Amino acid sequence: MSIEYNPKYMKHFYDPVWENFEDGFWQGIKQRKLKFQKCSGCGTFSHPPRVRCPKCKGEGWEWVESSGKGRIYSWTVARQEVHPAFRVPFEIVLVEMENEPGVRLISNMVDCTPEEISFDMPVEVCFREVTKEWALPMFKKVGG
Amino acid sequence: MSLKNKACIVGIGSTEFTRNAGRSEIHLAVDAVTAACVDAGLEIDQIDGMSSYGTAGIYAAELAPDIDVARSLGIPNLRYFGQTPWGGGASCGVVAHAAMAVASGVANYVVCYRSLKPASGTVRYGRPTAIPAEYRYSYYMPYGFASPTMWVATMAKRWMHETGATREQLGYVALVSRENALRNPRAMFYGRPLTMEEYLHSPMSSDPFTLHDTCLENDGAVALIVTTPERARDLKQKPAFIAGVGFGTSYDSHSMTSFYRDSIGLPECTEAAREVFRMAELTQKDIDVAQLYDAFTATVPMQLETYGFCKYGEGGAFCQGGDRIRLGGELPINTSGGMLAEAYIHGMNMIAEGVRQVRGTSTSQVKDAQNVLVTGGLGVPTTALILTQGN
Ligand SMILES: [Zn+2]
Repeated sequence: MSIEYNPKYMKHFYDPVWENFEDGFWQGIKQRKLKFQKCSGCGTFSHPPRVRCPKCKGEGWEWVESSGKGRIYSWTVARQEVHPAFRVPFEIVLVEMENEPGVRLISNMVDCTPEEISFDMPVEVCFREVTKEWALPMFKKVGG
Repeated sequence: MSLKNKACIVGIGSTEFTRNAGRSEIHLAVDAVTAACVDAGLEIDQIDGMSSYGTAGIYAAELAPDIDVARSLGIPNLRYFGQTPWGGGASCGVVAHAAMAVASGVANYVVCYRSLKPASGTVRYGRPTAIPAEYRYSYYMPYGFASPTMWVATMAKRWMHETGATREQLGYVALVSRENALRNPRAMFYGRPLTMEEYLHSPMSSDPFTLHDTCLENDGAVALIVTTPERARDLKQKPAFIAGVGFGTSYDSHSMTSFYRDSIGLPECTEAAREVFRMAELTQKDIDVAQLYDAFTATVPMQLETYGFCKYGEGGAFCQGGDRIRLGGELPINTSGGMLAEAYIHGMNMIAEGVRQVRGTSTSQVKDAQNVLVTGGLGVPTTALILTQGN
């Protein structure tokens, strides 16, 4: 099972608001690449992005592509509808990325039922088209 | 120089709590402020300050702004007005700002209020209509991760995993709140008992939460009046002294989505706790009764840990069986029924209940309550108060 979108509400929820923030995450997503902000001074990762590095206070950042591998850090299963855009039930996962310390990513699973999800389960990123313009990074079981 | 005991709460007022108030948020606020003035023995025109709050970002529309409430009350001028963001996290901070305003002489009588109409109005908390303009929501909303219940569920599930806390332990928080509401005729759940059986068999809304783990949805408003101890002497009520205030953010604080620190937890509370106890010159042992912000059951044991009533990982066990947190126990909590069972007024009703405990007029009165801890919303920048007899 995976999240089902109601196309009627695309504009309400699926167009990320990134123009006001120089956000390489969404620019990466447009090229089907998962990228995170990394301080060029001290190597600290930050997600969501920031203006200044919390560790060295530098403002030099690079956007580095992730291996996309991670583990389930927490999750929830939405069973009560909050908006008709999203058909319940669906699962939300918080994935701790393997190679980017301190980076966790909220997303959906594409290939498993809520019952199959467990803490520390290994997952990897894949891209799923939700509108003509956008594909979102989602996760699948490793080896699945 | 300290703010300790430089201000007190001298009036509390409330509308009825209902599923359909049949009037606007401004009208509800006017009614609550009027009731607070009557309670205090003040004329409306003596009010010269307003401290209010809203939900920055996600539910932008604030439907009872201070100038509209003042205008409808016929207050000619506000010498002080201040607003605090972050929804329920602001609740105690709103009172702290009022205390700072009167202690510094910027204003004499400051009204704090919250007016909400989610049950029948246009802004329904937990029911977003679109992705908010604030950039951070782009990381959540497109995945259907779109309500406070889901956000806090994700934090709570991790906390339960790390600490071994159980659904049954959360259930006791819901049950004790309900017991308190059964003694409180104002409560939405007055006359509606809850059993553990019902709690455990209720369907999940967002794992690990059921409807019994989340706060009420209702219309209503609550107002408080803050002034100096000197002015309080001429008023009707026994004052509730503001012995301590605490504000807390923490490393990498977000609004309900602080998912990026070593342990998700509620470190904002740890910071607010340190400040509020330091100012009040009190410790956890001195607290007779606590009103712990309970938009969600799990955040109550999480606060028992972060406010220092027990160690990390012990909050669930603290709630087991309910005896330690119910009336007569070592730390009675949420004696009006809180937001799980009295009403959801973004914590303002819990501050009013703290005042009643100091006055000795609660429907679940703790005998000789001297020191009351009240906390603000969780998973957001948060605030806390200690109210006392002022001795
Ligand atoms: Zn750096």
